[in-house]
Amino acid sequence: MIQQILSTTWKDLKILFKDAGGIATLFLMPLMFIIVMSTALQGLFHTGPDTQPTRLPVVNLDRGGCAAQVVAALGDVDGIAVETTWEEEVLTRKSAEALVASGDRAVVVVFPAGFSEQIEARVEDDDVTVTIELITDPAVSVQLIAPIQGMVFGAAERVAETQIAQARIAAGLASAFAELPVEARPVPAQITIEMDGESVIDLKQVAPAEMKIEVDPDTYQQNVPGYTVFGVFAIVGTMASSILAEKRDGTFRRLLVAPLPKPILLAGKILPYYLVNLIQIAIMFGAAHLLFGLAFGDPVALVTMGMALAAAATGLGIMIAALGKTDAQTSGLTMLLTLTLSAVGGCMVPTYIMPGFLETLSRFTPHAWAMAGFQDVLVRGYALAGILPEAGVLLGFAGVFFLIGVWRFRFD
Amino acid sequence: MSQTIIEARGLVKRYGDLEAVKGLSFAIRRGEIFGFLGPNGAGKTTTISMLSCLLEPSGGTAIVAGHDVAKAPDAVKRRIGLVPQELALYPTLSARDNLDYFGRIYGLRGRGLRQRVDEVLEMVNLTERARAAVKTYSGGMKRRLNIAAGLLHRPEVLFLDEPTVGVDPQSRNAIFEHVERLRDEGMTVLYTTHYMEEAERLCDRVAIVDEGRFVALDTPRKLISDLGGGIIHLGVANGRMDEELLGQIQSLPEVKSAARSDGRIEVETVHAQTALVHLLELFNRTDTTITALQVLEPNLETVFLRLTGKRLRD
Repeated sequence: MIQQILSTTWKDLKILFKDAGGIATLFLMPLMFIIVMSTALQGLFHTGPDTQPTRLPVVNLDRGGCAAQVVAALGDVDGIAVETTWEEEVLTRKSAEALVASGDRAVVVVFPAGFSEQIEARVEDDDVTVTIELITDPAVSVQLIAPIQGMVFGAAERVAETQIAQARIAAGLASAFAELPVEARPVPAQITIEMDGESVIDLKQVAPAEMKIEVDPDTYQQNVPGYTVFGVFAIVGTMASSILAEKRDGTFRRLLVAPLPKPILLAGKILPYYLVNLIQIAIMFGAAHLLFGLAFGDPVALVTMGMALAAAATGLGIMIAALGKTDAQTSGLTMLLTLTLSAVGGCMVPTYIMPGFLETLSRFTPHAWAMAGFQDVLVRGYALAGILPEAGVLLGFAGVFFLIGVWRFRFD
Repeated sequence: MSQTIIEARGLVKRYGDLEAVKGLSFAIRRGEIFGFLGPNGAGKTTTISMLSCLLEPSGGTAIVAGHDVAKAPDAVKRRIGLVPQELALYPTLSARDNLDYFGRIYGLRGRGLRQRVDEVLEMVNLTERARAAVKTYSGGMKRRLNIAAGLLHRPEVLFLDEPTVGVDPQSRNAIFEHVERLRDEGMTVLYTTHYMEEAERLCDRVAIVDEGRFVALDTPRKLISDLGGGIIHLGVANGRMDEELLGQIQSLPEVKSAARSDGRIEVETVHAQTALVHLLELFNRTDTTITALQVLEPNLETVFLRLTGKRLRD
């Protein structure tokens, strides 16, 4: 029985590797996408549609009034929508971290409890720095974070400098005029207060507590998993057309006259494509490692994600093969599903820059879960335990696809 | 060892309201070439599919090589080979790779597999092209390989479903020779075709199938001899196709019977050419104008036409 499965697997692999077009679709296309798109889009990730403001959650723990002034200033900036509550609750550091960890928001600004006090202290001591924290997901591109950093820094710097200047003016005047008669005192306009010219504000970028490594993602960490997932799902078309050919050419009919149980035949038709998927993933990540120095993260977690992804892709393949009755139907379904799911699932464009409804929709695609899992490993440094939810969901998709595929499968 | 290798009783296959096979009963002897002759859609492939355990019968029973197709399909499958109507091969693989794979599916391994692949390649004269991709083969070569793939596991019964479709005359003859050799080696062959020449040349017995029923079953020689010396179809001028004329025709020498059929007179003869002379004399004498004349030679095509009123390739 195992021998029959392996014989069928070996036969299908031989057929596949003799098909230059199939090889190009499965291996060269995603590889070219990775190379071209990663390079082309370096530094060009868009921060979102112009018509849609960037949503900026703010946690204000400040005991004084300075943070409130910065928040008000940020609220006046075009393209920024400040959020101080989430689901009708005032944001706390914990809830803000959860927002970033869940991917609902890419960045949260946290004003510490002593924000105003630090500004006051700076009046007396130039060595005091005033800290603001930006909680970010390390997987979010630096191109998205940079403008937000600039706006927060600018607004905070203005408020702090104003506060410090006013305090120093008041203090200078008080000390200079104390010994002069009132009529001899100069008008304030003639007084110059020297500022040190150094930045007051220090923006500290941190990851949510449960995320281990705080690094900026790069274009490869988006595009390598993105186009790998896209390429892996291209197996759907190859698999479906192979099964249709077996039906059309009568080879299934010949095989079913042999003492070969149908489940064994079906297993033999699935296994080679699962193996091809694993080879694809190994080649894509291997090439990215060699060409771009992509770091793999935890190898067990990466392999687990690869195996779960391959299961979902081959599951979808068997489902499409079962649902499509003709070559035209199958290729139509394949194009529709592989391109649409890849786009919606964040393979081509990160989901965090999508409009809310599309981001929600992406969670119904295996692609989005695969992307999240790979970025957990590559960017956030998660080990096996950290990616189990994503791998589990992918296996769930695989299970549903297989069930529908096997239920609807016809050998004639 | 029983002389009967296939026995069907009241075999039925229904698809919803459509009855594709309507209660076929027959017995095939070990070592004979048994033909199913009928037009496309007559139920030949459906019957073969039931006998080879691809389709479950809706009614009746079939015993193949000593096992019931419904109760012991695996035992039946080990003893039969099927050469489907389609070229059931992998075109991008070589002949050897194709045979190697099908052999493994039947449990052949290692040296035994290699030897058997060599044997069947030799048998169908494809040894020299064994390593070339099947897609580069001619239609006849593909058909021969299609047959070879059904022989790998040395089946007791071989089902050949229209094995010569799309094949040139030379390759067709080669296929006939292969099939005859298999019969000589003791294999039983169930051969479906809609070419009457093939049934006449190859088959020890022929079942003529139409609309899911047997309309005749015998040796080709007996079926043809029952027909006599051939059939003459006549068209005559309006008003002359009356009972009196039919009676006069029936009384002619060398005429077995005469009847009206689709606006024509169908004359069964003992010897068509002699009967035709007598017919022409009669029509001259009675001043009857002939508007159409067709002489059908005695063969299975004519038998089919006589029994069903249709042509095999309609």
